[in-house]
Amino acid sequence: MRGRASRSAALAIAVKDATETWRDGRFRWAAGLLFVLVAAALAGGVSHQSQVARQHADAQQAERDVWLDKGDMNPHAAAHYGAFVFKPVQPLAAIDPGLDPFVGVFVFLEAHKQQLARHRPIEDAAPTRRLGLLTPATAALVLLPLLVIALTFASFAGEREQGTLRPLLALGVSRRSLLAGKALGALLPLAAVLVPATLVGAGLLYAHRPADPDVALAPRALGLLAVCTAHAGVWTALGLAVSARARTQGAALVVLLALWFANAFVMPPAAMAVARLWEPSPSAIEFAAAIADEKDTWPTWDARVERVQERFLDGEFESTLAPANIEVVALLESEAQETALYDRHFRGLFDRYERQAAIYERAGLAGPTLPARLLSMALAGTDHAHDRAFAAAASRYRTAMLTILNRELAASGRLNTFDYVRGRDLWEQVPPFDYDAPRPAEVVRQRWWSVLALAAWLAGATAAAVWAVATMRVE
Amino acid sequence: MMAFARHEWRVLARSRVTLAVLAVFVAALAISGWLGATRAAREQHTLERFEQRVAEQRARPVSLRAEAVANEKGGLALLPPAPLGALAVGQSDVYPGYLTVTARRLDALVSGDQVEHPLAVASGPFDIAFVVLFLYPLLIFATSFDLTAGERERGTLRMVLSHPVRLADVVAGKLLARALVLAGPVVILPAAVAAVTPVPAAPAALGLSLVIWTLAVLAYGAIWHGLALVVNARGWRAATNALVLAGTWLLFAVVGPATINLGIAAVYPMPSRVAAAVEARAATEAASVQGSQALGQFLQDHPTSANIGQDGMRQFAALQAARDRQMAERLAAVTASFEAQLQRQQQLASWLSVLSPAMVAQGVLLDAAGTSTTRFEHFRAAAAVFQREWAAYFEPRVLDAATLTPADVAAAPAFRYAEAPVSAMARRAAAPLAAMALAGAALLWLGFRLYRGYAL
Repeated sequence: MRGRASRSAALAIAVKDATETWRDGRFRWAAGLLFVLVAAALAGGVSHQSQVARQHADAQQAERDVWLDKGDMNPHAAAHYGAFVFKPVQPLAAIDPGLDPFVGVFVFLEAHKQQLARHRPIEDAAPTRRLGLLTPATAALVLLPLLVIALTFASFAGEREQGTLRPLLALGVSRRSLLAGKALGALLPLAAVLVPATLVGAGLLYAHRPADPDVALAPRALGLLAVCTAHAGVWTALGLAVSARARTQGAALVVLLALWFANAFVMPPAAMAVARLWEPSPSAIEFAAAIADEKDTWPTWDARVERVQERFLDGEFESTLAPANIEVVALLESEAQETALYDRHFRGLFDRYERQAAIYERAGLAGPTLPARLLSMALAGTDHAHDRAFAAAASRYRTAMLTILNRELAASGRLNTFDYVRGRDLWEQVPPFDYDAPRPAEVVRQRWWSVLALAAWLAGATAAAVWAVATMRVE
Repeated sequence: MMAFARHEWRVLARSRVTLAVLAVFVAALAISGWLGATRAAREQHTLERFEQRVAEQRARPVSLRAEAVANEKGGLALLPPAPLGALAVGQSDVYPGYLTVTARRLDALVSGDQVEHPLAVASGPFDIAFVVLFLYPLLIFATSFDLTAGERERGTLRMVLSHPVRLADVVAGKLLARALVLAGPVVILPAAVAAVTPVPAAPAALGLSLVIWTLAVLAYGAIWHGLALVVNARGWRAATNALVLAGTWLLFAVVGPATINLGIAAVYPMPSRVAAAVEARAATEAASVQGSQALGQFLQDHPTSANIGQDGMRQFAALQAARDRQMAERLAAVTASFEAQLQRQQQLASWLSVLSPAMVAQGVLLDAAGTSTTRFEHFRAAAAVFQREWAAYFEPRVLDAATLTPADVAAAPAFRYAEAPVSAMARRAAAPLAAMALAGAALLWLGFRLYRGYAL
């Protein structure tokens, strides 16, 4: 009986708070502004994403045509002619572009040399772009918590200051019901803004859904929504907990704003600064020089051919290999050595990045926003793990392409490497570049620490709110 | 007014909130300053190491093929660390501080990408510029959301004003004391960091850069102090002031720039590198295929690379150069139109950024620090001049398939970066500085004017 009374009281509190909030002109302004910003960010994000995605797909098609139509040439010349692969743009990049502006958009694959993806959009952007871009994800993870704070900071502290907290509890409302009522009262008016915004977003995403049915759009989108909801939940619980403990509502506001500022603005650069102290990145020139230095110790082309010749005379090779194929053998060997060199250096760099990111991610336990951002990028398919997966796919494609072309040279049995010309039939044997982003389950598994951190924050903040309300002073 | 300021100073010195704010501010400036000084020292070390490396390579007593020296190795152009790079990372985590030049027509200026975790670039650096742009305004608000509201509620303001003093003087004293509390660390600490960081810049130029940096910081601060004064003058309660100021900060420092960037992306999208790459591919295709066939034909005619002789090597070099020249000519048009469009869009985008004080201040601070895009463009232009010298020296030797003596290598042109005159930076900074100072002054004037109607 008491439980039901408490529940209905909680509901009454929620309705009263929600109504008051809704009538408050300031809330309507703030919520309206947030809605407009989210809508603008959504529109901007979706139009930019679909435009870039189409551009990249068209470019890949054009590149394929160029590759097939390049006419007859020596297979090794074709390897020098090379191929561009363009990074496919994930549909949810419209919601969270994540690291997309900060990583290269295409890789040029060619013989002898391997490159990192080139032309990060940030290089061409106006310098002011560094101050941040409004995206649906920033609206949900940075701006929304602020609105949550504005709606919760006075929940208990305000009632206490006005002396209405004691009469409220005297009505027989349990403290837990009071907490539930206050939480609901804060979230209801928010829902009035967020549910339409989410629906608009979902509609836009659906309208621009990719043609490829393999793209796991729905699970990723739902995951993204879950992350944003959990993150908003953490801030609601934090707001209520601080409001219950704080002496005045002013103090509650200051504490919450400081927490918000630390989470949204200080933690990302600070966590990265720590990661880089621990695992410094090489400078660009050091990275390039390390590769060049190693190449310098290799024999020249002529010396290489000479050595293969000696090995041939020593009877190292099977008799089926004509002596004239010596240059081909040297070419294949140098190609293998080059691929191994670049793979090792790039793997070293990406491993270092991974270690930096691991430290960054571990630091995320200190607040709810960092893990939420990492998860949101991961689910949107725009984080560093996706970038690495693309780089790995490009590198594999390069190896496959060179293997097909070189194998053809080796099998030709011609007098010399360049005395051999092939055409479209060989170019067609190189399959078109096809890249599938990692599966959503794999994405979540990679970011298990962030999942754990966000869950811990949700549980911890809720427990803190329950405890704070159970032990709060009434006057 | 000075008496009030002195009095207020004593009050502030005893306030726990002020001390906490000051502690946070000093700690943030000190940590970011230390990180910056460490970074600058590492950059300087890298520069010295590679300068030495270049010198050693030139002095090596071996004869080398001209093609290998001129094109495979190439010439190294190194950008020294920025004069005040310790204060602001700026664009230095996006653009690399070196370029390799070759004597070819194609790939004449080769730059690797800056090697930096994309997450680091996205998160932004924790440098003094960040503390100045974001934390400083927030702390200005934290110290001045309650200039007079609390005293009015407690009735002490009325008491003070029963003496022959003007409200404006009382408010000015409070404002000045608060401004000084924060201006102290924000001026002194960066100057100290700059002083202890060894950089290869002329002291006079360094001094002027630091002066402009400091003026920008103070003008930027004046805008935020002005905003705080205007809000205070409206006569709300202290808690309301705090909320309104928090919203103001959010609007001007975060939402404003982020929305302007969204607008820039929508209205002035940068030209697509992807489309440009496809265009470049199409434009050079014929030349590339034709060139490859010519080279292939040559190699077919000269089956063994060992005995093609000097004449054969000359022919080969000529064929290669001809292909490069043809491709470069076709590429030039595509590149030029891309660059022109990029420049136009960036020009247009820069107009929108005058709407945000944070964006204007960022521009001046990075320019003064030497980590703005401008300095990297200047470096690129200098490297392009170096490339022409390099090509003029090596191209004939490459076409001659010459073998270079150590003396030839030692006599090759070397890159020496000449910093752009600091006066050019000062001229660029003048207008935004004046605009910020004017905006700050206007807001302060408006604040005092509104205070005339302040109801006690």
